[in-house]
Amino acid sequence: MADRDLRDRAAKGLSEDWQLAIAYNAALQCATAALAACGYRSSREAHHYRVIQSLALTIGADAKLVSRLDAFRKKRNIGDYERSGLVSEKEAEEIAMLARQLRKDVENWLRKNHSHLI
Amino acid sequence: MRSPASLAYAPGLGTIVPIMGAQESSRKASQSVGSALFGKTQRALLALFFVRPEESFYLRQIVRLAGVGQGAAQRELSAWVDSGLLVRSRRGQQVYYQANRDSPVFGELKALAVKTAGIADVLREAITKFRDRITLAFVHGSVAEQTEKAGSDVDMVVVGDVTFGDIAAALQPAQDSIGREVNPSVYSEKEFRKKLRASHPFLKNVVGKPKIFLIGDERQLKRLGA
Repeated sequence: MADRDLRDRAAKGLSEDWQLAIAYNAALQCATAALAACGYRSSREAHHYRVIQSLALTIGADAKLVSRLDAFRKKRNIGDYERSGLVSEKEAEEIAMLARQLRKDVENWLRKNHSHLI
Repeated sequence: MRSPASLAYAPGLGTIVPIMGAQESSRKASQSVGSALFGKTQRALLALFFVRPEESFYLRQIVRLAGVGQGAAQRELSAWVDSGLLVRSRRGQQVYYQANRDSPVFGELKALAVKTAGIADVLREAITKFRDRITLAFVHGSVAEQTEKAGSDVDMVVVGDVTFGDIAAALQPAQDSIGREVNPSVYSEKEFRKKLRASHPFLKNVVGKPKIFLIGDERQLKRLGA
């Protein structure tokens, strides 16, 4: 599913707000997948914050990646009518790269530690 | 949103010394405005009372939070109360001091405090290591318009050759000291110019409203096409 989201983001003409939403969702899904592989199920109310933080414990993500993803989580939270259009092209690209990187990391980790799941 | 610290002033930051040799006059400031105008105690008290004017403090608290000497504090507090800048009240055995909202210069002092000794100073310091790569940086929104509430976030625009990740990381400790979340929007110069030219709704709204400049100024903003 993360793949589909990342491909969607590459579609031209999508506003930066949408690009952020899509890439962020993809990243979140990767983090959730890692949690699931470790045997944890995040409940509906599971705060995105916790899912992101869990990356340090599941795939051993470094603190820098986790805090960058969390910065994008905050950015994602800010959408409302008054503030639409506040995501810049630069930021949309950054989160896309981060989501792609995370996907690779999670995939590698799954391959190494939970190969039966791939 | 994080709950605000009881103190938005971060003692110990001292004078901000920017990288010397910057070409434009708008980037050069060999001394902070606060330290040029005021002595150490005055600066500290200005920040303490006027960045968070809804709070009241007693003497020992003031000495501790503002990092000032007791004698100097008492002298200043006395003068400030006499001139109407502060109100003094008694609660039980304690004497409390608080900014006087009815002072004719309350608004001006609050603006001065925020710009020189409060939030703006802290944020400017936080991103100063990227100074060479930032064309313009300013605070906008409720904090700049002085309508901020206790839990308000600080909205910020940064234009330059830095990543959102770098700015967000640099602002992390600043958020802790000012007790508010900071939301940066980071643009390349190219994108900023392009969006201004195209009357992009968000930017158009932002540049038309009050701002507190951290790096660069109104002139720089005009040069970028505002």
